[in-house]
Amino acid sequence: MADVHQDTRPASLVVSPAPHVTGSASSARLSWSVAFCLLPAAAWGVFLFGVPALGVLGVAVAASLAAELLAGLAARRVTIGDGSAIVTGLLVGMLMPPGVPLYVPAAASGFGIIVAKQSFGGLGRNWMNPALAGVVVALLSWSDGMSRWLPVRSAAPTVTAVPPLEALRNALTAGAPRGGALEMLRASGYPWSGMDSSVVGWVNTHVLSLFGWHLPGGCFDLLVGNISGTIGGTSVPLLLLGAALLLSRRVIRWQLPVTYLAIFCLAAQVFGGLPAGGGWFVGNMLFQVFSGGGLVLGAFFMATDPVTSPLTRTGQLAYGLCLGVLTFFLRTFGSLGDGVPLAILLGNCLSPLIDRFTRPAFPTQRKAAPG
Amino acid sequence: MSLLGIILTFTLVDNIVLSRLLGICPCVSAPSDMRGTAAAAAATSLLMSLSALAGWALQTFLLEPLGLGFLRTPVFVLCVACIAGFLDLLARRAAPRLLRAARVPLAGVVFNCAALGVVLIAARGGFSALESLAVGFAAGAGFFVVLSLLTAIRERLDVESVPEWLQGLPLHLISAGLLAFAFLAFDRAFLSRLLRGW
Amino acid sequence: MTRRPVFRDGVLRDNPVAVMLVGLCPAAAVTSRVIDAAWMSVGLFFVLLLTRLCQAILHALRAPDLSEPPAPGAPPQTSVFPLRPRWLGSLLLSSCFTAAFELILLAFAPSESASLGIYVPLLAVNCLVLERFQRSGPEDEPESPVRVIARSLREAAGLGAGFAICLVAISLVRELLGSGTITLFAAGSFGGTIEVGGLSSVPVRALTYGGGGLLCLGYLAGFARLLGRRKRRSGATEAGRS
Repeated sequence: MADVHQDTRPASLVVSPAPHVTGSASSARLSWSVAFCLLPAAAWGVFLFGVPALGVLGVAVAASLAAELLAGLAARRVTIGDGSAIVTGLLVGMLMPPGVPLYVPAAASGFGIIVAKQSFGGLGRNWMNPALAGVVVALLSWSDGMSRWLPVRSAAPTVTAVPPLEALRNALTAGAPRGGALEMLRASGYPWSGMDSSVVGWVNTHVLSLFGWHLPGGCFDLLVGNISGTIGGTSVPLLLLGAALLLSRRVIRWQLPVTYLAIFCLAAQVFGGLPAGGGWFVGNMLFQVFSGGGLVLGAFFMATDPVTSPLTRTGQLAYGLCLGVLTFFLRTFGSLGDGVPLAILLGNCLSPLIDRFTRPAFPTQRKAAPG
Repeated sequence: MSLLGIILTFTLVDNIVLSRLLGICPCVSAPSDMRGTAAAAAATSLLMSLSALAGWALQTFLLEPLGLGFLRTPVFVLCVACIAGFLDLLARRAAPRLLRAARVPLAGVVFNCAALGVVLIAARGGFSALESLAVGFAAGAGFFVVLSLLTAIRERLDVESVPEWLQGLPLHLISAGLLAFAFLAFDRAFLSRLLRGW
Repeated sequence: MTRRPVFRDGVLRDNPVAVMLVGLCPAAAVTSRVIDAAWMSVGLFFVLLLTRLCQAILHALRAPDLSEPPAPGAPPQTSVFPLRPRWLGSLLLSSCFTAAFELILLAFAPSESASLGIYVPLLAVNCLVLERFQRSGPEDEPESPVRVIARSLREAAGLGAGFAICLVAISLVRELLGSGTITLFAAGSFGGTIEVGGLSSVPVRALTYGGGGLLCLGYLAGFARLLGRRKRRSGATEAGRS
């Protein structure tokens, strides 16, 4: 699909491989689609955590729009109608813990839009995902604000809220006896919900006991997304629903997110048990995927950003590989939150380099007709 | 610190450009093609390794025994300049095309902070000879990584849409700043856990 | 006979950090506190002025006919053998004065010396870079040695002042927003740190890291260019570089 973009301005012929930043119409459609597909997971977050979550989302989106408006007025070309600012705001909000002080999402959105996007020329010209740039700056600046988790609505009021992944990390550093992820959480007294214990108990007694299997407690909560965590990173089914919508409308392609998740799961399953003193092939990849923190959110909604990911299919596969490896390392050994935003950010840095090595030759160098 | 630890530290965690902020000038005004980048980075890496080793030697055998610690700066500056001059001569004889491709004069590499900074870091860190060489090599590798990333990013920028007042070096500096934030993912805690295997 | 405003040039038009973008390493690295930036500027002044003074004296003594421009402040050559006598001399001079400043700093402000770390010796190479942009005198008239020396010193002072202004500006932004404090010289009962209420409780710590320094530097360079363009557009007498 090599396409030559001919610039009709005098003395400047721009020749580069496809795709190019096309007109605002298709970019707008893209952004609005992404925003729409993020809504189910965002709504779930509001349902779980209540008004604080709504406040965070609202502030993030409002700040993002305000920043875009300001930048547009300064450049005399207002672009808030293209929906990309709303996507940025939504993503920033969804990556925040629900109890975060409101200046954090505001600053994150503002920083992302102004520094990571508008300074480079606006939509399509940035090389770093603005939402992620803002979130990482927030992580670095206000790390205690970014750890203000809230308990889910159904939890008892005396419960201190900690996302499962962090609880596991705390248990490991506290030297709990090694075992499977869910066993360790249960041993450390992680507060799964009442519904979870009743559903899992029912399934264990009536279905799985026939085969001699046993589901550990917490599976239902993790599957449904009734866990503490970031606002948008709790419900994997709803995120997958949004992702399926995007895939069906061909807004994103499946190669990149699937590669990312596959490589990460492979690494997590094979090597994930090692740090906990277990052996090989006993890392719990399902736990890693479903424990929230936005792995699915990152894979389908942030890594697939066409502006910051490589252009060619080969490039995207390489990108997915890098992201999977980076996420695994940063989750296992890192200390700055959960590894996904930082890993994708590093991937953004690598993406131009990957592009450089995987981009197709210019059409003039091949005798193929433009497709 | 083990050799692997040293290499990982100075390449990722304490990256010479993004963490110590040395050698920014060549990074943001480097040639914008990968061959030139590779040449410049290789030259710098070689210079840093040799200088770090030479710095260790001078520190151990000349400055400390004679109590001339206060002359460290002039001695190191001259040492780096000599090595750079020697490398320049060598390059001009052996690989003139590479030198032209690099388009970053070796003088530019000397007269920026990177090489001298690396020597000082190695000297102050109390490393052995092999470790000093590793420090220099790792710093050069880190420099190469950052230079490649920034060059690729520069190629990707759509110069005409960038606001006029930010075009050119200001935007490259902003890109470098964003890159630096991303590299903060690799911090000392990460490295120590990685090396310990948790 | 018009005297070129070399001091003002050094601060505004040829500002080392914001316009010519040299000496960036200390500008980004030591500006996380105001006091670090202040001491660095003092150091640069010290080394630059003394180096230029010595060079000017040497040049005045060496060359009887002073109508020749001392050195082309021209675009850098493509390959310079660093051991040419001129460079070597400058290297020696600036590194010796830097060593002197290191000792002074160690004597009078040892905590500063520790916090500035390796960036003080790097003044030697920064001064050298600045020295490459030395301007020649007016070509239409010969200058006496005293005039050459005076002009050299004024130029160095201008560059130093420009450097200081940029460094202090960046450090004010970084420290205020990044730690909510302003750290100055301790004097008498004043401990040296001013805390700004609202900001010191929730500062933007990201600015105190290297990335923050690079971002501030980039935006400073951009603003400088913006100001320069506004000035040219409003028809100022100073013709700027584009």
